[in-house]
Amino acid sequence: MIVAQEKPLDQIRRMIDRYPRVLIVGCGTCMTVCGAGGEREVSYLHEALRLAETRGGNGVHAFSEYTVKRQCDPEFIELLADRVSDVDAVLSLGCGIGVQAIAERFPELPVLPGVNTSFMGMAREQGVWDERCAACGDCRLEDTAGICPITRCTKGILNGPCAGTKNGKCEANKDMDCAWVLIYQRLETQGQLEKMRRYYPPRNFRTIPRPRRIVTRASIGAGGDHA
Amino acid sequence: MYVEATSNARTTRSERSIVDHSLAPPCQAVCPLHMDIREYVDLLAQGRTMEALHVIRKDNPFPAICAHVCTHPCEEACRRGEVDKPIAIRALKRFAVEFGGDRMTQVEVKTEHGDKIAIIGSGPAGLACAHYLRRLGYPVTVFEAQSELGGMLRVGIPQYRLPREVLNTEVQRLTQMGVEIRTDTRVVSLDLLFDIGYKAVFVTIGAHQSLRMGIAGEDSPGVIDGATFLREVNLGLRPLLGERVGVVGGGNVAIDAARTAVRLGARRVTILYRRSRAEMPADPEEIQQAEEEGIEVLFLASPTGITRENGRLKVTCIKMELGEPDASGRRQPVPIKDSESTMEFDALITAIGQSPQTPEDFRLRIGKGSTIQVDPVTLTTNRPGVFAGGDAVTGPATVTEALATGRLAASRIDDYLQRRYPLVSDAEKESPLGPLWPETVELIKKLGRLEPPTLPPQARAEDFTPVELGYDWESATSEARRCLRCGMGAEILFQDKCASCLTCLRVCPYHLPYVDATGTIQIPADQCQACGICVAECPAKAIVLRKPHDRRHIAEELEHILRSAEEAKSKPFIVGFCCQYGLFGSGTLAGIWRGAKAGVWIVPVLCVAKVEPDHILRAFEAGAEGVFIAGCGEQCSRENTAYWVHQRVEKVRNTLEQIGLQRDRVQALAPGDSGNLGDELDSFTERIGALYLTSVLMEEVKS
Repeated sequence: MIVAQEKPLDQIRRMIDRYPRVLIVGCGTCMTVCGAGGEREVSYLHEALRLAETRGGNGVHAFSEYTVKRQCDPEFIELLADRVSDVDAVLSLGCGIGVQAIAERFPELPVLPGVNTSFMGMAREQGVWDERCAACGDCRLEDTAGICPITRCTKGILNGPCAGTKNGKCEANKDMDCAWVLIYQRLETQGQLEKMRRYYPPRNFRTIPRPRRIVTRASIGAGGDHA
Repeated sequence: MYVEATSNARTTRSERSIVDHSLAPPCQAVCPLHMDIREYVDLLAQGRTMEALHVIRKDNPFPAICAHVCTHPCEEACRRGEVDKPIAIRALKRFAVEFGGDRMTQVEVKTEHGDKIAIIGSGPAGLACAHYLRRLGYPVTVFEAQSELGGMLRVGIPQYRLPREVLNTEVQRLTQMGVEIRTDTRVVSLDLLFDIGYKAVFVTIGAHQSLRMGIAGEDSPGVIDGATFLREVNLGLRPLLGERVGVVGGGNVAIDAARTAVRLGARRVTILYRRSRAEMPADPEEIQQAEEEGIEVLFLASPTGITRENGRLKVTCIKMELGEPDASGRRQPVPIKDSESTMEFDALITAIGQSPQTPEDFRLRIGKGSTIQVDPVTLTTNRPGVFAGGDAVTGPATVTEALATGRLAASRIDDYLQRRYPLVSDAEKESPLGPLWPETVELIKKLGRLEPPTLPPQARAEDFTPVELGYDWESATSEARRCLRCGMGAEILFQDKCASCLTCLRVCPYHLPYVDATGTIQIPADQCQACGICVAECPAKAIVLRKPHDRRHIAEELEHILRSAEEAKSKPFIVGFCCQYGLFGSGTLAGIWRGAKAGVWIVPVLCVAKVEPDHILRAFEAGAEGVFIAGCGEQCSRENTAYWVHQRVEKVRNTLEQIGLQRDRVQALAPGDSGNLGDELDSFTERIGALYLTSVLMEEVKS
């Protein structure tokens, strides 16, 4: 899941300052799960912005709010069509994808990001999130016993551990486990320590052209078997 | 069912996914009157006594009577009993009646129908029937053979259990409602009633005929049956019993007779009961109080013969042992051969059961145990227009059951006279909530039951003063807040909004929400403790509390308070979200009001765990200079509430800071050991006052 964090309120206030009518749009999927942009946060931000207006000396705004099921799908965004007709800007509490999706659908309308999209991760406990995947496009988790060194090692090295590991912790952050020690231990549990002895050549980041696109459907005519 | 849950304690939640969604709390489900106990206990916990009494009066025509004599099956069913001890529901009802302004209640009725109805017998069933028929607008006449109304309430129940002024007040209400009362009138023929114009008759003549033991010497002088004995005493006679009195039987009548004998001066009273304590049908509290008064209970003893010698009774008793369970489920007593012994008494009271005695001229079909046969749904007898109910139909039963029958009879007679098909009420279709899971029980805070005070035993034997004393205000609210509010908990109302984020599962202090076998998150309705934490924390706002009032409550109260504050134009003003439950609500909160702190406006909330950050911001936005949240602290009956209040206060503080307002404008307060938060509140109001002054000065400097 995508994890994000609310933007500082003063940053949001600066962004919306010039737009009198703002629609705050929440997202019912990842942003709800990570607590950064679901219906509850939309309503809290709404309340906070109104308070900022009355007590913090902001200009006068008219706010409205709406939460869509998922901001990264055009069909759900279509539900905003009526609601954006009388606003000057949309403040999206979706991840970066959601902001762009809305902006793409309503090109004449400024769409502002209300959260900082941070990483792909999972819940550790209530209110605590850990990064787990960097979306590198070349998954090596088979060799590393299901522990991703790209995200979980500070250096992201493929042949670890480095010399900075001490008592199973990382030299960059003494509270953080060394990903490579974790990998070693789990491989040992699984009786696959030979994977540690292999050499993994450096990844060639130049081979990944951005933005990436995945097409899963077969193109008609390619196989020559259409009737 | 409970046993099963315990033995399956290790089954996973998903295997146990059958959750009973009919949410009748067990107390209400077992109450013959189907009273909304959960609701009035909740109101009492908030100190809203008058409203509680209003709820009680809705389903109970004579709450003051029930408050004294109800056998409270609700308390046996109460799920608090699985945690520690059941809520003292009857004592709470008595508190509501005594402190809720009951004397001021008066039912206004108009006669809307011409069909007269006769009620034969003025026991609880008859009186309840009269009450409800009168409310429906029928002219009603109650016929009573005795000189005063009340039936068993008057002639059966001793005064120390039901003070006569309580009975008289309730009976008087009927007269005020316009019910025609004919005492000293024994009805001998139903035909006569129809002849003089009555369109329907409700026969509720009770079960006043004591059963005979069927042993030699039963008719000796000095042997008296329990019903007659109690009737004589209750109508003002003082039978001379002597010093040594025996009572045969194990029901409430036996206990009543024994305790009455003590009050008449008997030195030594012994109850002879043929089974053991476990099978004794009398109310355990009554047995305990009897024993406190020095009454001795001889178990597994049954009289086999009585002889009278020199003015004393020689009673031969045989020892019994318990055999196989009989039809009632109790183990059948079997005499032990050659175990006879003799006891001497001055008087012997037999109380082994009673049966109705219906005049033959009524021409009603009589069934087992001389009871009148009726259709259990319509209460009709074999004669058109004649209905029957109460002990006359069921044999000796409880006051509350009789009241329920009376109420049912009223609606059935109404159906009959209005030519309607009698429908089964929805209440009869409900099934109660199942038991709590053992692991839920573990996590619920134990809060001891506050027993209502009783008169010390030595003070009781002297006269017929009521033994049980009522609660005071403090004890009542403390006791009421123990209620688990079964079935009023949280539910995921908007499944389409639910993002399955599992926040509810992670924040629940009772670890109740679970992921079922299909991967859907479920909040088990029968286990939820209605603390409201998940409702406030759900990021999708998909969860609500089942009670509609609880859903809107805080937002509505807040808006109301904000309007009042605006109208009052008091500056600066402070909004306090204060828990309304228990001692804190009725004690500390009242202190804040009485202290008349200028500009402090209180939003009563049902547990501070339900206050959301939005509510706090809203108060600031409407002009509050400061906001405090005052919970019960250590006294809170639920878990983790203070932690979540702290989380939300911190969140709001961070926001305030970013807007340029001081963090300490919002604060969580909790009463200390003294239960007082006056000092803390004083320093908070002073601080807010100072902040306000500073901001006013700054404004002036700027301009």
